[in-house]
Parts: sequence; C-alpha cells; structure tokens
Amino acid sequence: MKELLISLNQTQKVRLQAALQHLAELASQVSSSNLAVTVADTIPVNNEDGILKGHGTTEFDGQVVATLCGIVERVNKLVYVRTLRARYKPEVGDIIVGRVIEIAPKRWRLEINFSQDAVLMLQSMNLPDGIQRRRTAVDELNMRSIFEENDVVCAEVRGFQHDGSLHLQARSQKYGKLERGQLLIIPAYLVKRRKQHFHHLEQYGLDLILGCNGFVWIGEHAEPIDSEVLEDRDKIPKDKQRDTPLEVRRNICRISNSVRLLSALGFALSVEAIVDTAEASKSSNVDIKDMLGAEFYVQTAEREVQRRASLLRKKRFV
Amino acid sequence: MVGLSAGEKQFMHGGIAQDLRSDGRQRLQFRPISIQTGVIPQANGSARVTLGTTVVIASIKAELGKPAPLRPDKGKVVIFIDCSPTAGPMFEGRGGEELSSELSVGLQRCLLGGKSGAGAGIDLSSLVLAEGKICWDLYIDGLVISSDGNLLDALAAAIKVALSNTGIPKVSVIVEASAEDQLEVNVSDEEFLQFDTSGVPVIVTLTKVGRHYIADATSEEESQMSSAVSVSVNRHGRVCGLTKRGGAGLDPSVMLDMISVAKHASENLIAVLDSEIAAAEAAEDDGS
Repeated sequence: MKELLISLNQTQKVRLQAALQHLAELASQVSSSNLAVTVADTIPVNNEDGILKGHGTTEFDGQVVATLCGIVERVNKLVYVRTLRARYKPEVGDIIVGRVIEIAPKRWRLEINFSQDAVLMLQSMNLPDGIQRRRTAVDELNMRSIFEENDVVCAEVRGFQHDGSLHLQARSQKYGKLERGQLLIIPAYLVKRRKQHFHHLEQYGLDLILGCNGFVWIGEHAEPIDSEVLEDRDKIPKDKQRDTPLEVRRNICRISNSVRLLSALGFALSVEAIVDTAEASKSSNVDIKDMLGAEFYVQTAEREVQRRASLLRKKRFV
Repeated sequence: MVGLSAGEKQFMHGGIAQDLRSDGRQRLQFRPISIQTGVIPQANGSARVTLGTTVVIASIKAELGKPAPLRPDKGKVVIFIDCSPTAGPMFEGRGGEELSSELSVGLQRCLLGGKSGAGAGIDLSSLVLAEGKICWDLYIDGLVISSDGNLLDALAAAIKVALSNTGIPKVSVIVEASAEDQLEVNVSDEEFLQFDTSGVPVIVTLTKVGRHYIADATSEEESQMSSAVSVSVNRHGRVCGLTKRGGAGLDPSVMLDMISVAKHASENLIAVLDSEIAAAEAAEDDGS
C-alpha cells in the first residue's frame, strides 16, 4: 500500500498537531472501557482463574502481555487483542471488491487483500442471460467472456470451505464487473461494516462502492442491467466506446481525492464523510488536485474535530 | 506489474484525452513535491524527495582516491541506484536489478556527460586535488523507497538536492612528500567546501499514453505507456541529455515538441526545487 506523505510548513504543523491532540482527547472521553495496548504492555486480568490467552497475547513472568498493538477484547474468559492495522479478515456477508488474477477450472481467483486468494465459483454467480440452470462445459469455456484477468469485480463473502479456502458469491445484478472508473486501495480498517456499501451518489452521477477489504471503487453510474434489456445486444458495444462526460469525471476525481485524503489522515470512511469533504472542497473553491495539498489536509483535520465535538455535545444533551 | 482491467484502461485514456487525470491533475502538471535534506548523517550530503507517493533517497559520499591514468585532471563520480524491496514485492531478490541498472544508466547519461567527462553537470575537474595523484571520488547512491512512477525525475531531483546539501572537507596537500608517489594530505574536519550545483540538470520525463503525452506519470499510467522521453535540462534551459524508453516509435516533430514542453516544465520544477531546498535547509538549521 502506497501512503501519501504531505509536507507541511511550520504553522500548518502546529495546527495539525492541535487538531490531532483534540481528537485524541475527544476519543478518550467517549470510550474509556476499551483498553488500547502496544507491544509488551501488560493486560490487567485481575488474577482471574482460567483466563484463556487469545490472539496477540502471551504469558511473560506470570503476566499476560500484548504482542500486538490494538484494543483488548474480552469474550467471557478469552482475552485477545484486536489489531488496529492488519490485513483484511473476511466475515460472511461482507461486500468486497477484488481483482481477478487467474481463471482456473470452474472458478476465478481474486486478490482481495486477504492472506490468501478468494475463489469465485462459476456456479455461485448469475449467468449473464439470467437463466437459472446447471453450468455446462460450454459455460466453462466461456468464462473469460464474463470476467477476464485483471477485471475488477464486486462480490459478497459466502464463507470458508472445509479446506480453509475463502469462497465468494455474486448472485445478484448489483454484483459483477465494474467498469469506467478507478479502484483505490486503502487500509481495510478504515471501512466499517455497514448496512449499505453500494452508494449511488445521484448529485454527482457516480457509483461508490466501499469494499470491506479496503478496495474502493469510484466509477460512473451504471444501471443494473435487466435480463430483458440484454436481448438487445447490438447496443452494448457502441455504448462501450463512449467516454465518461467531463462533468462526471470531475466528480469522480473529487470523490477519489477525498477518499485518498481521508485515508491519509486515518479517518474512517463513511459515505457522509466522503461527500462532506468533497462538498467542503467545492465550497471553498479548492481545485481538485489541490485537495491533496497541505492546506486542505489540515483544514479537513480541523473540520473533523468540529464534527466530533458537536456530535459529543449532542450526545450529552440527549 | 500493475494490471488494469479494460474498463480502467479506457477510463484512464479518456481522462488523459479530456485533460483531467485520475487524481485531478492536468496532463503536464506534477504531483506535489517535498524535500528533506540531511537525512543520512554519515554521508557528506543526502536528501529525501517525495513526489506524491513516490519516495526516493539520494546520498553523496566523498572519498579520497586516485584519478584514472587516462584522465589525470578529472575526479570520478559513480552513480548507483537500488530499488528497495519495501517499495514492492517485484523488487525482492534480484527482481529490482533490471530497473536499477536502467535508472543508473539513465542518470549517468543525464548527469555525467560523455565518456571524456565533457559536458557533465558535475564539474569533474573541481574534484582533483593534485593532478594525477589524488582526487575526490564521489559515490552517489540512490534508493527507491516507494515506487509510484516517475522514478527517474524523482531520483534526479534527489541527487540535485543532495549535491547542494553536500559539504566536502577542505584538503591541503603537504608538498614536501612529493618525492615518492604517495602524497601526504591533511583533511580538515572543520572547514567544508560547498559544491557548485548550478550546472546540475533536472530531468523531466514525458510519457506518451494513447495519443497524448503526460508529465509525472503514476505507475498505473506508466503501465499503459507506449514510449517515454526523459529530457534533462539545466538552469539555463539547455538540454543536457535525452533518454527514450518504450518500444513504440515517435515522430520527430512530436519529439521536438516534447523537448520544448520539457524545457518549459523544467523551469517550474527548478523553481519549486529551489524554494523547497531553501525551506528544507531552514528546517534543518532549526532542528540542529
């Protein structure tokens, strides 16, 4: 993962420091129950009997010690450390974006930033003609007409098989190949699991898919193709040649840069935050490419402080 | 290396045609550049240059040596570039060697002039202490820390900044020992001589993607290039070296056009570098 480094001048550094300090204070007010540990910190277990040491812990001189940086989690007797920055760990039902790296018999292999490659079986996805039937050898030979190598694909985590491999499924029109747009790769922990990961931003005319694995797709809006419309095959090749309109492309770039900026600052990515950043850049007349500059970087951090402070105030009044 | 799907390729080509690239830049705009000097304390001069998400480090080490017998009035400069495996898995083991040597050759061509040492950006005769006997050997080492395209431009900028940061110890030759071949020298550890970097060029690479050419390509854009021309231009707007990469041919008129565009872009780049050098030196003085 390539990280964006932004150089700040002296006053900007001071402002950013103040903003981050403020954020840390706000965070400590909200959550006091969660214990954050770094490597070699002791985890207080209050001499309970029969503590089970989970992931990221070890015993040292009779004490439980963290071997990873993260948050201490407890489930009954089990104590483990949930790391803040780690590879993506899939859960059943996650919506992910991946890139096809290989076509194997009856399956595609996808890179999804997990410790192993994910598998999308031919039988666990809808055929383009939309008919439910057994997959034949002809279908298997035509797999490359559905997804090729390097294609960006959106799918859902189906579960782990008995042999430990990760299987995906794409049984709906909303899943499938993504075209006319760009893929951004950000740390997976910045994308929180939510009800909605597909976002059609109508005011911008684009689709935003926040994959749980940290792959973010930003592309021109594409209507889900109904199987009836698809009969009219002649129309599609013509459509493919069309370029994205300039206005939509500006919006795609602006949204992409807000995603890059928020991930560089380490703020969680929600569609509200992304749109808010894009709108702020528009209203303060910041050029698209200057969104990654030092000044807007600091401004975004300061705006986040205000947002969280007002959130906290609201909570107190309720 | 970078695999892009047909849809992404088409999107990128369309963006370049519409003069709006995927990070919002126009065709000839550079990514934000930032500089730190003095990052390696053991070296005589060093610099880190960040160009968007591309990060490179250059260090200059000066050692006393003997001039080559054929060129007794010239010092020696060696450029070596290394691609760190931290920049990407493809640089692991011997994977980065091909790119490293390509970058080293490109930089040698652009900075060191011809075989005779004529036309070099670094004045080789200023490195000689006693003709035929003793001279400075400059070892220029570049390290690619994070690779996101346009490495040659970033490395050239890093070397230029590192050279301006370089202090070479003042040396006085003790004359009476000249009877033998070996000379006695006295290396001062207090007085340092600044290097004259006014002649060191910057490199501007123009990458041809589709029908247009772009400056400061990212690695995604570089994966789609047909050819790339690297032009090294000095402060006076003179072209010092030219390297072409990529298989596709270029029309001579396009080539001339690219050179004049690169010359124009280099003026901006040199101005940015100068102001960044001043800022970085001020920051370093504050720190120490």
